[in-house]
Amino acid sequence: MQIMGMMEKEMEYRVEMFNKLTQTCFDKCIEKRHKESELNMGENSCIDRCVSKYWQVTNLVGQLLGSNRPPM
Amino acid sequence: MASSPDSSEPAPSPSTSPQTEKPPIEPIRLPTVEEIKGQDIWNNCAVRSVVSGVMGGGLGLFMGLFLGALDNPLMQEEMSAKQQFIYTAKQMGRRSFSSAKTFAVMGVIFSAAECIVEKGRAKHDTTNTVVAGCVTGGALSAKGGPKAACMGCAGFATFSVLIEKFLDRHD
Repeated sequence: MQIMGMMEKEMEYRVEMFNKLTQTCFDKCIEKRHKESELNMGENSCIDRCVSKYWQVTNLVGQLLGSNRPPM
Repeated sequence: MASSPDSSEPAPSPSTSPQTEKPPIEPIRLPTVEEIKGQDIWNNCAVRSVVSGVMGGGLGLFMGLFLGALDNPLMQEEMSAKQQFIYTAKQMGRRSFSSAKTFAVMGVIFSAAECIVEKGRAKHDTTNTVVAGCVTGGALSAKGGPKAACMGCAGFATFSVLIEKFLDRHD
């Protein structure tokens, strides 16, 4: 029973992270004025870098939160 | 998480009134695997510059043929018509080959420089075109010394910006 609850929470957490990730990288990388429908090379590499950095930040923050229990 | 690739609900097509016939709205499709692979291939700097080089070579071929045909032989009165024809044909061939080489090199350098700069900056701007044009112009006129390289850089950068603006004029 508890496992179902935990899995639900995990799923919600992942969905939330995905939504925030796409929103952040979309706002950061793609110009407001769309000149064409395809992603050009600059935007493509920007999104690659954005996702990679976001993921690293998530992992790092998670580690820092997990390791140091008493507040610094 | 992400919506499955096959979840495409057909949007309701607008009712066609007798006055206006709007095109039916297409459902949203996520890109297929082939489309993604095609985009990945086109985003590769080496592939892009080779394709640009080939296109530049073709363009130079035709330009050289055309300009070579306009060239008149030096000794026009002494040669017969057939000799003039052969001379003009050889001139056209020589001119088109050298012109094709120049344009191909120009295309490769410009495309490679623009691709590398755009990937490095991760932005789509006119600055990429300016830098790529400057590098190409400088490389092509590097034999004339630093001053000629600077002039070539400025000239070619301006030219490529104008061409880019012209090609994107429908906004």
